[in-house]
Amino acid sequence: MGGTDMEDLQQELAEVFKMPRLSSAVSNVDRIIELLSAAREQVAGALDPHTASLTMAKLQNPAKVAFDKVNDNLKDASQAHKKIGKALNEHFPNKPLPSDHDAMANHPALVNRAIAMHLLREGQFSVASTFIEEAQGSVPNASTSQTILDLEDPPDLGTAEPMDEDADDAEASPLFSSTSSENREITAFHSQELQVKFAEMYRVLQDLKARNLLPAIEWARENSAELEARGSNLEFELGHLQYVWLFKGSAVNGLPDDENNGQAGAIRYAQKHFPRHQGRHLHEIQRLVNALAYASNLQASPYRALFETDDAFAEVSSSFTREFCSLLGLSAESPLYIAATAGALALPQLVKYTTATRSKNTEWTTVNELAFETPLPKRMVYHSIFVCPVSKEQTTEDNPPMIIPCGHVLAKETLQKLCKGSRFKCPYCPNEGQMKDARQIIL
Amino acid sequence: MADHEASKINHDNHLLLDQPLLRLPYELLRKNFRSAHYSFEKDSTFVKNLLKDTATGSLNGKTSPEDVVKNLDVMLARMRGMKRKLSTYADEETRLYKQVDARVAHLRELSDVHTVEDVKYEAWSRKRLDRLLVDYLLRHGYNSSAVALADERDMRDLVDINTFVAMSKIRKSLENRSVQEALAWCSENKKALRNMNSNLEFMLRCQQFIEMLRAGTPANCTAAIAHAKRFIVPFNDTYREQVESVAGLLAYRPGTTLEPYQSLYSQDRWTKLADIFVEAHNKLLGLPSFPLLHIALSSGLSALKTPACHSSQTTSSSPSHHTSLTTSVCPICSTELNDLARHVPYAHHSKSHVEHDLLLLPNGRVYGKARLEEYADKAGLPKGQVKDLVTGESFSTDDLKKVFIT
Repeated sequence: MGGTDMEDLQQELAEVFKMPRLSSAVSNVDRIIELLSAAREQVAGALDPHTASLTMAKLQNPAKVAFDKVNDNLKDASQAHKKIGKALNEHFPNKPLPSDHDAMANHPALVNRAIAMHLLREGQFSVASTFIEEAQGSVPNASTSQTILDLEDPPDLGTAEPMDEDADDAEASPLFSSTSSENREITAFHSQELQVKFAEMYRVLQDLKARNLLPAIEWARENSAELEARGSNLEFELGHLQYVWLFKGSAVNGLPDDENNGQAGAIRYAQKHFPRHQGRHLHEIQRLVNALAYASNLQASPYRALFETDDAFAEVSSSFTREFCSLLGLSAESPLYIAATAGALALPQLVKYTTATRSKNTEWTTVNELAFETPLPKRMVYHSIFVCPVSKEQTTEDNPPMIIPCGHVLAKETLQKLCKGSRFKCPYCPNEGQMKDARQIIL
Repeated sequence: MADHEASKINHDNHLLLDQPLLRLPYELLRKNFRSAHYSFEKDSTFVKNLLKDTATGSLNGKTSPEDVVKNLDVMLARMRGMKRKLSTYADEETRLYKQVDARVAHLRELSDVHTVEDVKYEAWSRKRLDRLLVDYLLRHGYNSSAVALADERDMRDLVDINTFVAMSKIRKSLENRSVQEALAWCSENKKALRNMNSNLEFMLRCQQFIEMLRAGTPANCTAAIAHAKRFIVPFNDTYREQVESVAGLLAYRPGTTLEPYQSLYSQDRWTKLADIFVEAHNKLLGLPSFPLLHIALSSGLSALKTPACHSSQTTSSSPSHHTSLTTSVCPICSTELNDLARHVPYAHHSKSHVEHDLLLLPNGRVYGKARLEEYADKAGLPKGQVKDLVTGESFSTDDLKKVFIT
């Protein structure tokens, strides 16, 4: 039935929505109240036995009819509910979810931290602070040794790489730290600092959206050492775009038409800022400056592509976000979002597996490696995966990939098994090699 | 290509996490109806009988006209009460219908999306995460946060604030050592609880008994015995052993170290009661026993995790992210999830996923040719030189070696 189940369900429910509801019973109850009130008026008005018994006798039938009506109304309402149930069973049948084992239940503090950081990086600062306050106030499952969100004085074991050379730059100290040992699990992070950081990120992104590159450029300059160490060209790319943006002049960029704008402004900017980048980007700088010669007819020149700005702004925005998060040791997209999405994509495989193995009572969460494949879209694959072609095992730190002289790669354990004495024969080509010639590689 | 397959949305199986989204309002509609029906039956039987009796009495002269008026007033009061109650049930029904409508529309949106690469998918999936987060927050009793997030995202109809707030009230009352709220809930759901063999009411009744004995005065003990006769003895057939141990408590004071009496007097029983209540509540409404976010994370963390994520080495290549030279931090390596993911297994792969045309640098690191060339170009290196993207070392292209991944 493919994607049409929800469409069918929606259509069927639309029919149910037109059916009578409990509210119709309410109006028929009103009818009974009217009947009773009228009878009361008559009996109270006359106060004689004959009127009373006559009125009461005459009341019996209409009252019964009215009560039956209410009863019918209720039946109709219930009928509608049953139709919903039927439609759900048909188009959205219940499938069991894994329910034996909750691997996350033992780590409420870590889950809470992930959520708090997610809210902060999404710019949901007020929700985040409400949450942090609430989570700090309560300890679910009453385990006393655990702090749910401890924001005070975390141990200083940052996971963010300490690349900062400026010791006097207090901002560059690790933002949040965590230590996790087998028995003890105190997690903490500086939510305030993180919030300040993400607020800064959103401010810069906002400016980029408004085509103002200056705050981004300033940030990149302040962090140029770290950026360069990461091999990022962000600072130069921003400068490059600023040059192009100025070059386009007041008519396009809307900046004041003075000596700092237009071609003259671009040249001025280039003279002031490009020399810092000459070592790495000489070639591009030359191209940018050469383009001046074609200023009157850039569209027809070989430099046209260098001067496109529409995509360039979007691109620097996303590289800015990526670099900004990376310097904090964080992924560019919310890990919680990626993980929940990947979770939904992989869940059918997990359900299939747990359903098939329930009888054996296998806890899929206690082994090192999943027992089944969970294919994810390519953009959710972040590391190279090397599966040894012989042992079919993924390489790990203990069993790393090894390259042998012919250029083929095998897992270390495989190679050790292949070895006859100190020599082995490559399983993929006629070459032979010696153990001492095999080298560990980092993929 | 295989990737195409992995990006495709399998509509039959993509909404596993979203089942409670429609199941719950449906269950609540049924429950609401049952309450409405029960209260109507009770009131209407009473009014109908009184109506008949009054007519008969009036006819055979046993009921005076004054008493007829009085009886009619009683009936009117009862009917007005019925109207009030039915209106409340009708309002709840309207609210639930509105939820069902909004929720099926939300799920239906996905029918138009066929691949996870579609931008519409991301919007939808973000909304799903927000729903999962609200569910998580509510289940942990972080109610203000849940409401704040739901309002911020304008998705009250997609989350079950009322249900969980009511639940957390009862849970908190148990944690604060009061059984009244939970008992009221039991009587509201008597039939359903009986059908699922829940021991909640029995446990609550025992707790009342225990508390009376804890107080320890003679009057309390007498009351405790009366309470036991009325509320605990009826469970004798179902929970014989437990009834016997509870009865034995009469002989022991709270300080005892003898089991099972010490445990029965323990304050931890309240936490246990709260857990039993939550379990019964969720089962009754067909809700998963733990937060949906936990299910999504257990599955997602494993699917994303690789042996490299908790390794000491920085990996070199990234098979899919070479649109940019510098790569984004992997979500499992990112601080948010790294510690949490330590406890789950990594994904199973039967095939290698690496960049094309791999080259080995003299320092042992391996990169795709395209990325090395692009980086060398951007870094303005002279021809014939490349630079390690992670370590920054420069090498001559003559020193590179081809790597064959089979």
